[in-house]
Amino acid sequence: MEHVYLVCYDISDQKRWRKIYKTMKGYGAWLQLSVFQCRLNKEDLLKMTDTLTEIMHCDEDNLIIIDIGVAETVSFKVASYGRPFQPIKHSAVVI
Amino acid sequence: MNHTAPLIPVRIVNEYVYCPRLAYMMWVQGEFAHSADTVEGKIRHKRVDKPGGRHPETAGEDTGEIHARSVALSSEHLGITAKIDLVEGQGRKVQPVDYKKGKRPHVAAGAYAPERVQVCAQGLLLREHGFEAGSGILYFAGSRERVRVEFDEALVAETTRAIEGLRTDSAKDKPPPPLMDSPKCARCSLIGICLPDEIGFLAQQREDIRPIYVRTENAFPLYVQSPASYVRKDGGQLVIEEKREKIAEVRLKDTSQVVLFGYCGMSTPALHECFRRQLPVTYMSYGGWFIGHGMGTGHHNVQTRTAQYRASFNEQTCLNLAAGLIQAKIQNCRTLLRRNWKASDDAGDKAPPQLLGALKSDMQQAGRAVSVQTLLGVEGSAARRYFEHFVFMISPQKNEETQGFDFSGRNRRPPRDPVNALLSFAYAMLVREWTVALSAVGLDPYRGFYHQMRFGRPALSLDMMEPFRPLVADSTVITAINNGEVSKKDFITTAFGCNLSPRGRKAFIAAFERRLSQEVTHPVFGYRLSYRRLFEVQARLLIRYLTGEVKEYPTFVTR
Repeated sequence: MEHVYLVCYDISDQKRWRKIYKTMKGYGAWLQLSVFQCRLNKEDLLKMTDTLTEIMHCDEDNLIIIDIGVAETVSFKVASYGRPFQPIKHSAVVI
Repeated sequence: MNHTAPLIPVRIVNEYVYCPRLAYMMWVQGEFAHSADTVEGKIRHKRVDKPGGRHPETAGEDTGEIHARSVALSSEHLGITAKIDLVEGQGRKVQPVDYKKGKRPHVAAGAYAPERVQVCAQGLLLREHGFEAGSGILYFAGSRERVRVEFDEALVAETTRAIEGLRTDSAKDKPPPPLMDSPKCARCSLIGICLPDEIGFLAQQREDIRPIYVRTENAFPLYVQSPASYVRKDGGQLVIEEKREKIAEVRLKDTSQVVLFGYCGMSTPALHECFRRQLPVTYMSYGGWFIGHGMGTGHHNVQTRTAQYRASFNEQTCLNLAAGLIQAKIQNCRTLLRRNWKASDDAGDKAPPQLLGALKSDMQQAGRAVSVQTLLGVEGSAARRYFEHFVFMISPQKNEETQGFDFSGRNRRPPRDPVNALLSFAYAMLVREWTVALSAVGLDPYRGFYHQMRFGRPALSLDMMEPFRPLVADSTVITAINNGEVSKKDFITTAFGCNLSPRGRKAFIAAFERRLSQEVTHPVFGYRLSYRRLFEVQARLLIRYLTGEVKEYPTFVTR
């Protein structure tokens, strides 16, 4: 079962920040500087958390993962100004 | 003791005590599927598995303190091998420590049987190497508790029995039957491969099926059909470029397979990553010809393929399977006509009863066919009947727009009109989908039971897709035309035939994928699942039929 997560991080080192950003691109949609929206099942959440905590330095950096709820059923209200907010939807991609 | 038999890893002995069938599927058939539990276990084990500490080769040379991580030991005599998470002790007196990710269970014995047997087997290995191991420790990381397990006579006997039982089972050519009604199944990562309730139901050992825990689909195919595009890898993503400009990004974790049309390119790192993740990559021509398909190292389960080949030499099995599939196809054609009949001048908006009756008798004849030859004849006449009336499922207005349907029926290689072009393309997509599904479960798509083997023809895919031609391919064609998703301007017609334009192809692929995502009720088991997942279930049931675990292959028909 998939949940929607909000992943935010503070990374004090540019090189590590880059690494975290790149890792996160594989797990979710970029929302804002250091903020990602993800739709993950438990396996992916574990893998993501494991990778991120290995890159970051726990004494200098900070990572917050907010569980918003079950992806299929959750309804959360989002106010977004300047740029539209789009929840992640899974479907076949045809290019 | 047979010394040529491969040593059994102790973790498989654990699985054997949990469920003999699970151990067989993992150890003999090489089946594995990750679940949240296995991923978590793997991560927890990363630190433990780094070798380190002091550990003397054999007991006696050292009397100091022992604290050794990740100790690999095997014994020909016991027939087992293990990598012990931690060995601790003093001199000859040691105890194995096994890390478990979860919390300590609150049971009288301190831990469940599989774990106790596993650590006991590790203890036996240590004893075999000259140590004194009277007890072991299970460390439950979830609650940070150590549970002592005494290697008493009863446990040692249970462990030896388990090793012996597993060895006997491994020598058989069929897995042990699934557990019945066991609460263990719900958390087992192989439930979708083992299909315990389905097999129990088909073997008439149970009356109903527990609502199967169907995993929601969270990965979907990526189709790249835009000409001159290039796919490369960037971190956890696939990036699609056109003329060196990024036009799309797709997360690999959300991708189930990659389909490339025509001459679009894909970088080697991207291919490697797909293969590593077991994502199939298929190549098709612009016109939709299925050219080839790659999928990493392929499936480990050789037993499945052996059963498939063996069955393919048995004429009666071939005929039974073929007759069932063709019967289902004719029935599904009939259902499609009945459901989608559009108003015609004389008959109103109901399919003429004599047509439905004729198809019904075709169906019965297919069931009675005495040879594959007669079956081919029945199939041919049913197909002719069906395609003669195919046009009545297309709304008259759209029919005019698409230049009408060739009333003589199907034409192909190349198709000469838009509807035939769509049908050909849809069948090519369906063959591809089935080839991917069959290879993914370990079957050989090129060895069929009904379709003749010819170079480059995935015969088993063609066999298995028969019942789904009307339900998935034809129905997508009808819907796409009737909804106006593809229209006359989406076709390029030349003297050599008719084909889809890139825009039309894109629209049609989207319609096809939508159809595959649609949920249907399984006629035999009664639960709902998408066509995509249904293909996998049918493919796995075919394996169970070929290996003799179920008596009959349940074909798919809609009501």
